Amino acid sequence: MRAAGSTRARTSPARESAPGKGSEFVQALEAVSNGIRNPVAKLRFIRLSLARYQRRSRWIETVPWESVRRRMYHWLGLEELRYLLSANSLGAAVGIDSRTRLSMFMTRLARTGVGLAALSGLLLVAAGAYQLWRSAPAPATAAAAAPAKIETAAAEASPSAGVAPTGIWLVEQGAEFEQYSNGLRIDTSFTTTHEPRRFRTLTEDGLLEAGTFDKPVGILFHTSESDVWPLEPSYNENLRDSSRRLLRYVQRKKLYHYLVDRFGRAYRLVDEASKANHAGHSVWSNGGHVYMNLNHAFLGVSFETRWEGGKALPITQAQFATGRNLSDFLRQRYEIRPEMCVTHGLTSVNPKKRQIGFHMDWARGFPFEAYGLPDQYQKAAPSVTLFGFGYDEDFLKVLDQPWPGVQEAERRLEGEALASGRSVDEIRMERQLLFDRWLAVQAQGEAVAGAEQWSAPKLSGG
Amino acid sequence: MEERKDHLWKVAQEVEERIDELDKAGAPMGLDVGTSKVVAARRRTKGVETAGQLNAFIPVPYSRFTENTLSQNEIAYYRDGDQLVIYGTSAERFANMFNADVRRPMADGLINAREKSAMPVLEAILQTMVPRAKTQGEILTFSVPAAAHGQDSQLTYHEATLRRFFESMGYRAVAINEGLAVVFAELENNNFTGIGISCGGGMCNGTLAYLSIPSIMFSIAKGGDFIDASAGGVLNEAATRVKVLKEEGLDLSRPPKDKFEKAMHIYYEDLVETLVEALHRAINTAEKLPRADRPLPIVLSGGTAKPKGFKDMFTRALSSRSLPFEVESVRMASDPLTATARGALIAAQYEK
Repeated sequence: MRAAGSTRARTSPARESAPGKGSEFVQALEAVSNGIRNPVAKLRFIRLSLARYQRRSRWIETVPWESVRRRMYHWLGLEELRYLLSANSLGAAVGIDSRTRLSMFMTRLARTGVGLAALSGLLLVAAGAYQLWRSAPAPATAAAAAPAKIETAAAEASPSAGVAPTGIWLVEQGAEFEQYSNGLRIDTSFTTTHEPRRFRTLTEDGLLEAGTFDKPVGILFHTSESDVWPLEPSYNENLRDSSRRLLRYVQRKKLYHYLVDRFGRAYRLVDEASKANHAGHSVWSNGGHVYMNLNHAFLGVSFETRWEGGKALPITQAQFATGRNLSDFLRQRYEIRPEMCVTHGLTSVNPKKRQIGFHMDWARGFPFEAYGLPDQYQKAAPSVTLFGFGYDEDFLKVLDQPWPGVQEAERRLEGEALASGRSVDEIRMERQLLFDRWLAVQAQGEAVAGAEQWSAPKLSGG
Repeated sequence: MEERKDHLWKVAQEVEERIDELDKAGAPMGLDVGTSKVVAARRRTKGVETAGQLNAFIPVPYSRFTENTLSQNEIAYYRDGDQLVIYGTSAERFANMFNADVRRPMADGLINAREKSAMPVLEAILQTMVPRAKTQGEILTFSVPAAAHGQDSQLTYHEATLRRFFESMGYRAVAINEGLAVVFAELENNNFTGIGISCGGGMCNGTLAYLSIPSIMFSIAKGGDFIDASAGGVLNEAATRVKVLKEEGLDLSRPPKDKFEKAMHIYYEDLVETLVEALHRAINTAEKLPRADRPLPIVLSGGTAKPKGFKDMFTRALSSRSLPFEVESVRMASDPLTATARGALIAAQYEK
């Protein structure tokens, strides 16, 4: 179909317009290329395929059937793509549409099938040859030894998820590690300290709540935004070096309490009694309490991966398991409520622009359910309900649409606007002004508490 | 005092919050070095970030008072003997103030051989956009025009000079044809097949690419500056003033209302005719054309192509000429001002 706004320049006969031998290759190349959703990956794929065309076409063109040639080109195209993905020279996940993914899967399946069939054939031939060489019937005992019993036993054994410990406790501790009963092993060789944790909270009316707290009340999950190398043996050095550099950097900047590297190793980088510089401008609320700028109140747990193209690059199985164990451990140790475990992207705000999503790590795709946590993407965003924050085109470019919690929060604002006979914009503006005021109240409260704490020894000592 | 807590791995949106360390990652950079503007593109977490700077300057006589005023207002300048050279976007403001014309370190898409301050000014402008490479060998792709007839040696000099400059800043510099950069930026869905045209200040450049491989390149030494200077001549206005009026919202789709719009229509039509004729000639005289078994799209980009009605003017001119392939559509780039830089960035990421 012709695109809208098409034009028709007068057409004179095209030179070289007759489909030649290359047309099958080009059609196959374009069929695969159309499924790639990343311009750089697409460019790499096209250029790589073109570079290899001459060599490959020599033997493919000897095939007399056009449909077979077409299929071969298509298959080779998918193989080129697979090579690019596995080499992953982009250092990032490449968007591939579902149809192309399915094609890649099917060709791999077909290849595996052909391989297995060939292997089986070879084994049969080898067995036949062996039988002939023995030139004697197999002894009766050999037939009796067929492992029928073992097969039955194996079939009966149901896969087990293993036994969970009744609690999580410290099993063993060394100079540079801690081992916990749920399998969590924390490397403490990079641990450093920072400013002691001390924070205050507000009510949903912006009043300072009584008490200063020094224990974390929540967990904030992050992505490290560092290089992500393919998880392959040939990249081992890059994987290792990248993690080391990241650890040193995070330690120097005191960024997170914990980092889970690509091999699933958990590192404690900032002592849990200290704050870490992980949350920046951020807002969360639960149970009538409002938490602003979460460096003190929340523990920062970061996964070594990167937020890209509107989602975090997939974490590894090992990271997934360690992250879960670490989350369970921290929740148990500090009695952290599940509703207080959230991702950085859901809390981060830009106070200057009055916008949400200043940082967007895990603004989509965190496995809350698998971690035994409520789906925080559904919770009405406190930054919108309390402070009327919005978002801009850049935000939508990344996420297409805000997560359901933002939409829910916006519905609430609309409801309030209807009920009060004002516009949503008026309500938003009014609430946006609250942010700075509430922040000032919290800061003042913390400063006073700090001064009290500082003077306390003198009083008790007197 | 508020502590800056947002750490460096994550991208800050605000300019003042762009943290130097981010550059340590060695993010590739795409640069559109145009006669009228320099535009840089870099990939950030939220997508591609672009920034532009006017490629112009204006010298003013040196005085301590003027220098103080410039530095207090954070206006980009440097002192050259008894002159203060104001460069970049501020230069246009000053030119308007004094009803004078800005000077350009580049002309017709290449380093301006007639301008003795060309290289120092261009380097100063580029330095405002391109930080020193944090690690040796970071990739930077910069745009170059297609050589106009008989200008091959100037193009070689232009490309080599820029490459040397970027290399001195620690980059591995790669040149990309301007039209091809437009193809990379805008024709991803066509598998980088089609015609990309960039209409800039000094010239217009076009490239027909087939599966990302440039097949035909052409250029004309007419662009926005030609229109501004020609219209300025007949209107007795400074070209800089004409440019400002033009950018305030010229609409080529409606009949001209006054002398200014009439002049604009005339010179835009002249430019479009020249451009389409160059496209027509380049295609029809090409020794070899790629197989065109389907209609090809044409994408228009660049500041000169921005006025409303430019696309229709181009389409009309095109329809009166015969081409050896069918044109699928003529369309504007998603962001005409940054298309070349974004395409250069894709090339840089490809090179990485």
